[in-house]
Amino acid sequence: MTVFHFFNCAILTFGPHAVYYSATPLSEYDTLWTSIRAAVVYLVTALVKLVCLATFLNVSDSDTFDPYQELLKALFGFIDVAGLYFALTQLTHRNISQNHKFQAVGLGWAFADSVLHRLAPLWVGARGLEFTWDYIFQGLEANANLVFSISLAALGSLMWLRKNKPKTLIPIIYACAGIVATMPSITSYLRRGLGWHLPKVVGFELFSSLLIAFISWQLFVACQRPSN
Amino acid sequence: MANSLRKQALLDPMYYPVITLLITLIACVEFSDAVTAVDVYRLVQYDISGVPFGSRLSALNHHAGSSLFGSDLSRTVLILPVRELNLTLITEYIEQKKLLGGLLLLLPPKFSPGNIDSTFGADKDIASLRNKLLELEWLLMHSNIPYPVYFAFEDDNISAVLAEVKRNDANGQPATATTGGYKLVVAASDPKRIASPNIANIQGWLPGLKVDGDSNQLPTIAIVASYDTFGAAPALSVGSDSNGSGVVALLEIARLFSALYSNPKTRSRYNLLFGLTSGGPYNYNGTQKWLRSFDQRVRESIDYAICLNSVGSHGNQLHLHVSKPPENAYIQQIFQGFSTVAEELGLQVGLKHKKINISNPRVAWEHEQFSRMRVTATTLSGLSTAPELLDSTGGLADNRHFTSEASIIRSVKLVAESIARHIYSQEKKSIIIFADDSSLAVNPSYIRSWLELLSTTPRVAPFLSKNDPLIKALEKELADHTAEVNVQHEILDGMFTFYDSTSGKLHIYQVASVTFDLLLLLVLGSYLITLFSFLFITTRGLDDLISLFRRPPSRKVKTA
Repeated sequence: MTVFHFFNCAILTFGPHAVYYSATPLSEYDTLWTSIRAAVVYLVTALVKLVCLATFLNVSDSDTFDPYQELLKALFGFIDVAGLYFALTQLTHRNISQNHKFQAVGLGWAFADSVLHRLAPLWVGARGLEFTWDYIFQGLEANANLVFSISLAALGSLMWLRKNKPKTLIPIIYACAGIVATMPSITSYLRRGLGWHLPKVVGFELFSSLLIAFISWQLFVACQRPSN
Repeated sequence: MANSLRKQALLDPMYYPVITLLITLIACVEFSDAVTAVDVYRLVQYDISGVPFGSRLSALNHHAGSSLFGSDLSRTVLILPVRELNLTLITEYIEQKKLLGGLLLLLPPKFSPGNIDSTFGADKDIASLRNKLLELEWLLMHSNIPYPVYFAFEDDNISAVLAEVKRNDANGQPATATTGGYKLVVAASDPKRIASPNIANIQGWLPGLKVDGDSNQLPTIAIVASYDTFGAAPALSVGSDSNGSGVVALLEIARLFSALYSNPKTRSRYNLLFGLTSGGPYNYNGTQKWLRSFDQRVRESIDYAICLNSVGSHGNQLHLHVSKPPENAYIQQIFQGFSTVAEELGLQVGLKHKKINISNPRVAWEHEQFSRMRVTATTLSGLSTAPELLDSTGGLADNRHFTSEASIIRSVKLVAESIARHIYSQEKKSIIIFADDSSLAVNPSYIRSWLELLSTTPRVAPFLSKNDPLIKALEKELADHTAEVNVQHEILDGMFTFYDSTSGKLHIYQVASVTFDLLLLLVLGSYLITLFSFLFITTRGLDDLISLFRRPPSRKVKTA
C-alpha cells in the first residue's frame, strides 16, 4: 500500500506539469527543449544559491524566525530572479512566440524545482508503512509552485522582453514580480514566525498563487493591447 | 524524532540538490519512521524432553487490537495491560488453543528492572498485582502458544496508541488492512535452538590452618548458592530474591571470613568452600556436575554444606531444610547451633524434613544434590515448602522492590555466626563474633550494591555466554575474598532445550487503509482530468476538445 501512496503523491506532485505541457499548445510547438534548458538553468541557480547560503548563513537548530537570516535568504532569493532572467533572455530559442516562451520556461523551472525539492523526501518518506498527510500537502505546494513559476516567468518576460509597455502598468509589474520572488520568505515567515500549520500555509499558497496568476494574466493582456 | 527531522528537511532547501544527486543511493535506504519504537521482551521458548512450551514464534507483523472479543483475531495483535487483565478469560483463551496474531502484555513501569529507585504505592494493590503476575507467568510458561507473546513496559507513547486502538475498537472500526489503524511490527528472525547451553560454576577456597604434623585432610564447610534464574521473560528475569539474595549473602559471608582468615592467628582448623553454582532451576544440574568434579577425598572431607536460597524476603521466619532424618545427631547439632544464634537475633528457624526419592529426577532443593552424594547438607531458605519445577526461580514478579536488604543482613548474621561458633568451638559460650560496630560487622552498603547489581542483570543460564561480564565479576569478587578460585564450565544436561531471540524492538506504524489510497487515486485522477480539460479549453477551445474524441472525418478526394 505504501508504494501506492508514493505513486499517488508522485502524480499529485509531477502530474500537473505533464498535463500542462500536453494540454496547452506547447506540445504542438515543440517547446520541450526550452523547458529542459530552463530546468538546467534552475539547477545551476540552485547550486549558486546553495553555495552563497552555505557561506553566509549560520544554520540555527531552533525553529524560530530570525529576521536577519530571513532577510539574507530573501536577498539570495533574487538570485532566482537572475537565473530566470538568464533563461528568458540569454538562451537562444527557436522561433516561438513570446506567449509560449514564458510558459515553457516557467514550466521547466517549476518542474526542476519540484524534482529537486520534493522527489527526495517523497521517495524516502512516502514508501514507509507510516502514513502522514505531509506528502499530499507537499504535492499541493508543488502545484502552487507551478502557478507561481509561470506567473513569475510571465512577469519576467513582460519586464525584459517586451519593450513597449504602458507606463502606468510598469510599477505594478515590478511590484508583482517582487512579491512572487519573495514568496518563499513570506511562507517561511508564516510557518515559523506566526506558527501556522502546514494545511493553513498550503492553503495560503494555493490561494495567493491563483490570485497572482490572475493579476499577471490581466497585466499580460493589458500589455498586449497597445502593441501596434 | 523522525517528524522533526522531516520538518527540518522541508525547511532547509539548500541541501536538497545534493541529496537529489545521490538519489540512487538513497533509494536503497529505508528510514524507520514509526510512530513509536518500544523495547519488548519475548516470552521464553523451551522444550522439556521434546514437549514444547512457551511462545513458539518471534516475528510479528499484524494490526493492533485491544479486546479478546474482537472478530478475526488470528490476524490481530492484542495489546493487553496486565493491570486490567482478566485472568480467567485469558486462561480459557490459551487453554482452548484459540489462535491470535500475537499478544503484547503491558507491565506497569514499576516492575521494570531498571526502575530501582521508585517507591511502590499502596500495598494492597501491589500485592494483588503481584499475585496476578505470578499466576499469569505460570500460565504462560506452561502452555504451548503458537504465536508470538511479548512483554513491554507501559509508557506515554504506548498508552496513547492503546487509547486510540481502544477508541477505534469501540467505534466498531477494528484495525485491518481495509480500514487502517495501527500496525505492530517486530522484525525478528526465526528462533533458533541453543545448541550447547553453558553453565559456569564458580568456587572459592579458603584453606584452614594446618598445624605441622597434621597429615589428615582438614574438614571443610561448604557454603553454596545458585546464581542463575528462569522466568517467563528471560530478558527480565533478574531474580532479586531467588536467588540474588543468596548470592549476595554468600559474597558477604565470604568477605567476613576472608577478614578472619587473613590473619593466621584467627584462622580456624576448617577449610571453607564457597560455591556459586548455575543450573539451579533445572533440578540443580550445575551443582550435581560441580560435586561430581570433586576429588573423592575432598568430597569426603566436607563436614556439612549450607545452601542459601531466597533469604531476602522472609520477615523473621527462616527454614532449615534437610533430607537426613531430623533425629540424626549431627543434624540436631547443626540445628541447635542455628537456633541459638537465631534466638539472639530475634529470628525463628524451623527444621523441615523432606525425603529424597532417588528414582525421581526432580531435585527441589540444592542440598538434595549433596545428599545424593552422601554429603550432609541443609538449605536455609525463606520458603517453607519445596518449590515446583521452574517455580520461585526469579520471574517477572521477583524484583528489587520485593527484596529486603534487612532480611539478607539478618540471614548473613545467622549463617556467619553459626558457622563461626562451630569452627572456633565457641558454641557453648555466649560471644558474638560478627558484632555490629566491630571491624567484622556486616556491611550493609556492600549488600546493597551487590543486590542492586544483581537486580538489574538478567541471569538465565543458557543465555549467559562463557565470558559473560557477570560471571567474570563474580569470579573476581570471590578471588578478592578467597585464596583459590576456579570456574568450571559445563553443558546443561539434555532434558531442557532452549531457543534464542529473547528481546527485540517493536515498531508501531499508523497505516492508512486501502480504500483511502483508492479514494485518493480517484480524486487525483479526476483533478488531473479537470485540469487538462480546463487548460485545453482555455487555450485551444472547446471544439478541439470534443474533436479529440471523434474520428477525423474521411476526406473525399476531389478529382479533377
